[in-house]
Amino acid sequence: MAKATAIAAGNAGTGRIVDTDRPLVDEKLVLCFFIASLSYVLIAMLAGLLFSLQFLQIYPFANSEFFSPGRWRFVHTQGVAYGFIANAFLGALHWAVPRLTGNRVLSDKLSWFILFAWQAIVLATVVGVLSGEAQALEWGETPVWIDPVAQLGLILVAINFLTPILKVKGPMYVTLWYLIAAFIWTPLVYAMGNFLPEYVIGGSAAGAIGGLFIHDLVGLFVTPIGWGLMYYFVPIILKKPIWSHGLSLVGFWGLAFFYPLNGIHHFLYSPIPMFLQYGAVISTIAVELVVTTVIVNFFGTLVGRGDALRTNLSIRWFYIGMVFYFTTCLQCAFQVTLTFQKVIHFTDWVVGHAHLVMFGVFGFWILGMMTHLLPRLMKARDWYCNRWNHWHFWLSGIGLFVMFIDLMIAGLIQGFAWRDLAPWEDSLTFSTPFWKLRTLTGIAIVVGQCFFLMNVYMTWKHMRGAASTTPMPTPTGGGEPAIA
Amino acid sequence: MAIIRRVESRAKRITLWVMGLLIIVPGAYGFAEKMRQFILTLNTEEGAGFTIIPIANYFLIAGGMACLFGWAMCNGMFGNVEEPKYTMLDHERELDEQDGVDWSKQ
Repeated sequence: MAKATAIAAGNAGTGRIVDTDRPLVDEKLVLCFFIASLSYVLIAMLAGLLFSLQFLQIYPFANSEFFSPGRWRFVHTQGVAYGFIANAFLGALHWAVPRLTGNRVLSDKLSWFILFAWQAIVLATVVGVLSGEAQALEWGETPVWIDPVAQLGLILVAINFLTPILKVKGPMYVTLWYLIAAFIWTPLVYAMGNFLPEYVIGGSAAGAIGGLFIHDLVGLFVTPIGWGLMYYFVPIILKKPIWSHGLSLVGFWGLAFFYPLNGIHHFLYSPIPMFLQYGAVISTIAVELVVTTVIVNFFGTLVGRGDALRTNLSIRWFYIGMVFYFTTCLQCAFQVTLTFQKVIHFTDWVVGHAHLVMFGVFGFWILGMMTHLLPRLMKARDWYCNRWNHWHFWLSGIGLFVMFIDLMIAGLIQGFAWRDLAPWEDSLTFSTPFWKLRTLTGIAIVVGQCFFLMNVYMTWKHMRGAASTTPMPTPTGGGEPAIA
Repeated sequence: MAIIRRVESRAKRITLWVMGLLIIVPGAYGFAEKMRQFILTLNTEEGAGFTIIPIANYFLIAGGMACLFGWAMCNGMFGNVEEPKYTMLDHERELDEQDGVDWSKQ
């Protein structure tokens, strides 16, 4: 286990030595965050699957208020955002930040407190939502009394990670720029979305804030952490520097100035002033330029190492996620235009888009990170069964891709049916085959996660059974090292 | 063994500048335009309170980033812009070697 006696990474050339030999990374903590994340992904996906049955009129708990589908939909969305993604990010950050900066997080005790507090917050959210206490705010359905606690938690997270980052001297690696931004933006975004519409602003202005919140949650919380971690994990697995660090900084600053304008594109054709709506449309299209820089950079990095897509499962998760990211942003650039909105608004197109973003991009990146790190964290030589990991990848990948295409087509059919003033019942009849296929793809995705969970458990059990005490880290690498 | 530092190719530098101009110039224009709208909105009665909040939100986030950008420029964060990608990898290799991970083979 790497000790903090290493030369502080962010102090390259200064030779500053950290004055203790305590571990730089608390690997048990990272493992706990990952296990929590995987537990929530199963719960959240089962909730989504359950909700999809409502569309097929075979919902099994139709007479139970506690199990009403509307409430389980919130468990699905909140569970994915705050249970699966947030936990996984916290775990990966506890690995990456100390290694990038050469400094431990502010307090190990605070990190453990955050671990337990965050699980309490997510569980309380689930219970609160199922009890009917959800707020009428998209992505902010957390019960009102949880909001201040979650806000405090986010501030503590920011302090815990910003402390080691701000100790870094000299030019910073792009990951740290993304993380600084994320730790500043996320508490601000959460406060804006959860407190302003609840206590300060009403009417259409609250709608505008809601639009900013739901998009900023993706763009200013999930995106900077996700890309930041990609800029860390891809080079270290390929053992090759990123193609252009300058270009990565251009992408970062572009995100910083364009993204905050985007959210109002969720409320096109609303009473919100048109200049704000047009601004959101233009900046959304401009974000596609920013995304292009990032994609060029990562695929430039892959040049000469294309075999890693075949030999390294983590790299495959990452790059498929990047292709989906480009797809979703390209889709976004079109769907924010007023012409597209006339057709797709309120349809399943949007649902397909959301699934592609949250699972196809950030979920895939997280699963790639876990595939890379979990054996090392469990002190195992390798995965118990690599074939199960491949089943996990293909079931998730094919399941999600088919779901995305399915919902996109369903959305277009629904949109054109409504535009042409077809009877509402007709649009339901048209949609039913697509909803059936959506449920099947959901089953495939859930089965894929079961393969992964089984593999995690069996790897851990096998490691314990073998009573292996010698750490044998096995980064599932790819490509030749670029070292002299 | 340190990661090999390669001279950046001309194509890469051109890509950087082209993409940089394509993004930073419209970004700066958008920022200035929002500033103008902000001032105009402040001076109108109708809908001032209604529209000012989303714009103020933009300034809260983008304004902070503009300050950070200025601070980074003044502190030489963009001096040798490609060096951090090598130092990051060098230190990751050092940490991995402490853990017994051999970077010369997979």
